[in-house]
Amino acid sequence: MVGAISRPVRIAAWIFVLATGLFLLAPLVVVIGVSVSESQFISFPPDGLSLRWYKEVLSSDSYLGAAWISFRVALLVTLTSTLCGGAAAIAINRRVLPGSGALATFFLSPLVLPTIIYAIGMLMLWSAIFGPVTIVTIWIGHTVITIPYVVRTTLAVLSESDPFLEEAAQTMGAGRVQRLWLVVVPQCLPGLAAGAFFAFNISFDEAVVSLFLRKPGLTTLPVQIYGQLEFSPDPSVAAVSTIMIALTVGLILIIDRMLGVQRFASS
Amino acid sequence: MADVRLHQIKKSFGSVEVLHGISLDIASGEFISLLGASGCGKTTLLRIVAGLEGATEGRVELGGQDVTGLPPEKRDIAMMFQSYALLPHLSVAENVRFPLRMRRIGTKAEQRERVADALETVQLGHLAERKISQLSGGQQQRIALARAIVSKPKVLLLDEPLSNLDARLREDMQVELIEIHRRLGLTTIFVTHDQEEALSLSDRIVLLNKGKVEQEGAPDEIYSSPATPFASSFLGASNLLPATVRRVGGTAIAELEDGQTVALPADTAEGACTLALRQEDITLSGEGDANLTAEVATRVYLGARSRYILRLAGQDLRVLTGTTPTHEVGSKVGLVFDADRIRILPPETEKTSKDT
Repeated sequence: MVGAISRPVRIAAWIFVLATGLFLLAPLVVVIGVSVSESQFISFPPDGLSLRWYKEVLSSDSYLGAAWISFRVALLVTLTSTLCGGAAAIAINRRVLPGSGALATFFLSPLVLPTIIYAIGMLMLWSAIFGPVTIVTIWIGHTVITIPYVVRTTLAVLSESDPFLEEAAQTMGAGRVQRLWLVVVPQCLPGLAAGAFFAFNISFDEAVVSLFLRKPGLTTLPVQIYGQLEFSPDPSVAAVSTIMIALTVGLILIIDRMLGVQRFASS
Repeated sequence: MADVRLHQIKKSFGSVEVLHGISLDIASGEFISLLGASGCGKTTLLRIVAGLEGATEGRVELGGQDVTGLPPEKRDIAMMFQSYALLPHLSVAENVRFPLRMRRIGTKAEQRERVADALETVQLGHLAERKISQLSGGQQQRIALARAIVSKPKVLLLDEPLSNLDARLREDMQVELIEIHRRLGLTTIFVTHDQEEALSLSDRIVLLNKGKVEQEGAPDEIYSSPATPFASSFLGASNLLPATVRRVGGTAIAELEDGQTVALPADTAEGACTLALRQEDITLSGEGDANLTAEVATRVYLGARSRYILRLAGQDLRVLTGTTPTHEVGSKVGLVFDADRIRILPPETEKTSKDT
């Protein structure tokens, strides 16, 4: 019987749901609250109401410069990560390459590898071979850590699609290139879109790799926020964070319009 | 339209040979069924004709042209898959147009016309703008058929296309397939494990068993004169009884393993053989002038009829009868049949599966 859930279990479930909601949403509420504070200091509940910190942020060269770098990096990362991850997923899904299983594990390994170790290694390797870090270094670093998401979402979509579609297209006269563009890629599209969304968000949000690969003039937004918080904390940090939250929510809404969040989340 | 010639096709997967040299001539416009149990190689053979699978040995000719080395996209074929394989991101009309687009057949206007024609043929013209996900299974099946016939291919290949439909839809589609074939006259190869489908649709049936052609012929011929115990049991649920034929005076007598005897036509050859008797040719009687006596093992009530499983000389016999009179499990019953309906086949070399 599905309906027969005992009372203690139901209470426990409710507590769990409430706790999850609380710990998920409460920090956001605090951040948004602090951002509209009038005070010089980070305090919650806010001291008075004002938008001065938003004005501060939007006229600050260091914030805007960092945001511009983060935005450019995130765009580049989305592009390369979706291309590489998508191609890898298609290849893995066919199981014709020797060791497809090992390949899948390899492409997903950045998920389990501690990012800090990867970041240190990347810094040492780059310095040894190419010298000083550039925006390309961060681009590559972020691409590596976001590829697993694209591979996963694309594989999920592919594994649910009819394995005979490509053969069917072949019997209808479609050559190799036509099959790729007219059959395989359209199949992957929801997965690629989901993966691209993850890649953009993760890159835009990423702090560890960016922190190790920073230098003057090459500071991403999360690193800028971290620096601000460490050396001269004020509610501008909260204001930036609130803007980032708003952008993310906006992005989700756009994707919902285009693809539907249900379908998107299920991949 | 074109004829298809398969010459000594062999196929191995690794060290396992699944097709042992199959040769087949299919006339232009013929509807041929490859019939067999799962694993007999029928789908593999179809995929070799399509070019999706390469033959290890042998030659495939379409319309007189050797296409053995050509990939599917270079062969003038169309194939319908068991899963239908409709492209989910395209509309119904775009799916049906796909082969025309890929093979660059006609102008855009002509393509539209042919798509409309094909959809009309399967009576789904009104669904042209639908998405695939909005269609029922039966509708998807018809769209797949429309897509397969739209390019008027030299050969139409059908891989168990009706197996995912429920019984009523399947019967409708069988009728429709017959009509479409009559109208378009496409050379058609139809793969199925369902003997009824094969019997009702085909001009000719090729019965495959373990990668070899067991028997081929017109449906009535292959049904009424199965050449082997396998063919006999696969087509029409025949009961097979091992027996030994002896001549006594002017008559031939078959002796079963339990000592019961049956009179056979006088010209029957002596020696070991298999008697094949269809379940619909047997009636049951309580006692008396029966040809043979057996014991009732199981009775299955089917509504309009009853099916009995009888035990005779160590073999299970299936008999389909009316629901009255009822014979109790464990009781003895007499089997009544016309001795002319018995087919005498070579002795069984190994146990063949009785698939019905």
